[in-house]
Amino acid sequence: MQAVLNVTSFMKTLFAPNAQPPRLVFTSMVAAQVGLLLLLWLFYPMQLFPSLGEVFRSLGDLITSQGLIQELWASMTTALQALAVATVLALLISYLTALPFFRPIAYAASKMRYLTLTGLTFFMALMVSSGHQVKLSVLIFGATVYLVTGMTSVILTTTQEEMDHARTLGMSEWRSFYEVVVLGKLDEMLEVVRQNFAIIWTMITLVETLYQSEGGIGLLLYKQNRYLHLDGVLAIQLVILATGAVQDYVFVLLRKVFFPYSQLGVA
Amino acid sequence: MTAHTYAYKDPILTLNNISMSFQGEPILRDINAQVLDVTRPNMKQGQVVGFYGRSGIGKSVLCRIMAGLIRPSSGTVEVGQAQQAVLPGMVGFVQQRYPLFDHRTLFDNLLVAAQRKYGPAEARQHVSTYLERFGLTTHARKYPALLSGGQRQRAAIAQQLLCSDHLILLDEPFSGLDVAMIDEVKRIIVEVTTMDELNTVVIVSHDLVTTTALADRLWLLGYERDAAGALVPGATISAQHQYNLAEMGLAWHQNVEAEPEFAQFVEHIKDEIRRS
Repeated sequence: MQAVLNVTSFMKTLFAPNAQPPRLVFTSMVAAQVGLLLLLWLFYPMQLFPSLGEVFRSLGDLITSQGLIQELWASMTTALQALAVATVLALLISYLTALPFFRPIAYAASKMRYLTLTGLTFFMALMVSSGHQVKLSVLIFGATVYLVTGMTSVILTTTQEEMDHARTLGMSEWRSFYEVVVLGKLDEMLEVVRQNFAIIWTMITLVETLYQSEGGIGLLLYKQNRYLHLDGVLAIQLVILATGAVQDYVFVLLRKVFFPYSQLGVA
Repeated sequence: MTAHTYAYKDPILTLNNISMSFQGEPILRDINAQVLDVTRPNMKQGQVVGFYGRSGIGKSVLCRIMAGLIRPSSGTVEVGQAQQAVLPGMVGFVQQRYPLFDHRTLFDNLLVAAQRKYGPAEARQHVSTYLERFGLTTHARKYPALLSGGQRQRAAIAQQLLCSDHLILLDEPFSGLDVAMIDEVKRIIVEVTTMDELNTVVIVSHDLVTTTALADRLWLLGYERDAAGALVPGATISAQHQYNLAEMGLAWHQNVEAEPEFAQFVEHIKDEIRRS
């Protein structure tokens, strides 16, 4: 009887607003949800959607005969390269907003996220020589404009109180900016990078189909799509999803290691 | 009521005809006040002065002017024994929510302030002394998010003291605190003012009783009326709203709130506020 009461009260915590269910209860709930999803996939009689078995068979085939892992690695190194350059560029543009002269540049950079990728690749192709460079420059551009948007909004959260605090400690304007905005918000900048890394994965699959010489997971996905191998499409999508989840986890880990104060006091 | 022996020496803070307007709307008008170095025989006696004003009257603006963070529309603020024009960093300023650098540990927060005046080794020594003095040694490695409200306030005051030249400004230090916490803040203020002869704490608050109990000088911010009885825009300090509590025998008493003269004085001020 007591056990039933306990289970009922635990279940209630899962549906109570802002409740903090025990770790074990929460993990069991997630496992049950995943299990339910898999069961639904296994037994739902939808013809168009490939079965779980077909997807796994296709995944094996993609790995053994079509070099999925190598293609994934190729895409990931390009994505990381683009992200590194875009992060440096975006930080530079965002920090320069401290100077009124550079504010229009950040504003314009932020608005450029509305530009379409296809039109952009044409201009990039005219400007740089190799296919790899076109790919990279499109990714850098695309990621930079999104990162600038996120980073400038982080900078805009700086309050007068924070700046005044630094000034009252005798810090110069640049030193106050460095202390409050650069050092003080570095953890939030990392979060912006984490959130926007997904944009690169969205773009890379498109860019790789436009410049096919270097392969990549995007090209593999394009081929599976073209020949209506839905099991293959799904397998690749799941691999991208898993990669993204691992990336997210790595970023969270980096934040915990380098910015241990970051999550303190968060509800 | 006991009047203590005291004397005044050089000015420490002078407000000369401070006026401030935002977009043509006067907030503060012709504010004059001077804090003098008060001395008492055989002891280190710093100064505690209070600026009282109702909510929304412009106290925080006055704080920022006194801290050198904004320039008044007219008038000057002079600080220190040399009576120099105030610049940011000359006056320690503890804002209402006791800001600290959240990305630094408590020790590093104090160290960054101490490094302004001292070399690396000396700065660390001073930080350790202040941590001890303010009862924060066991929390030195904590980040500000892990400190309680009281610890945070003590840390913020210690940080400002480590880098300012004797003068420290507290904006609403009693706001939102319970009785025990208010006692704690009062203890810290007394502690600060007895650390050095020149240490001066300026309290800007709407907590009339606590501010009056601690201060040796009190200025009342309010509005004046013109000949027709209409309110003159911009808060100011009228001649009759400047109180020398040392002269009135109400300063430096252990439990002044319990004295009938104190209660009468507070009632008198309340009447003044109601009238304005």
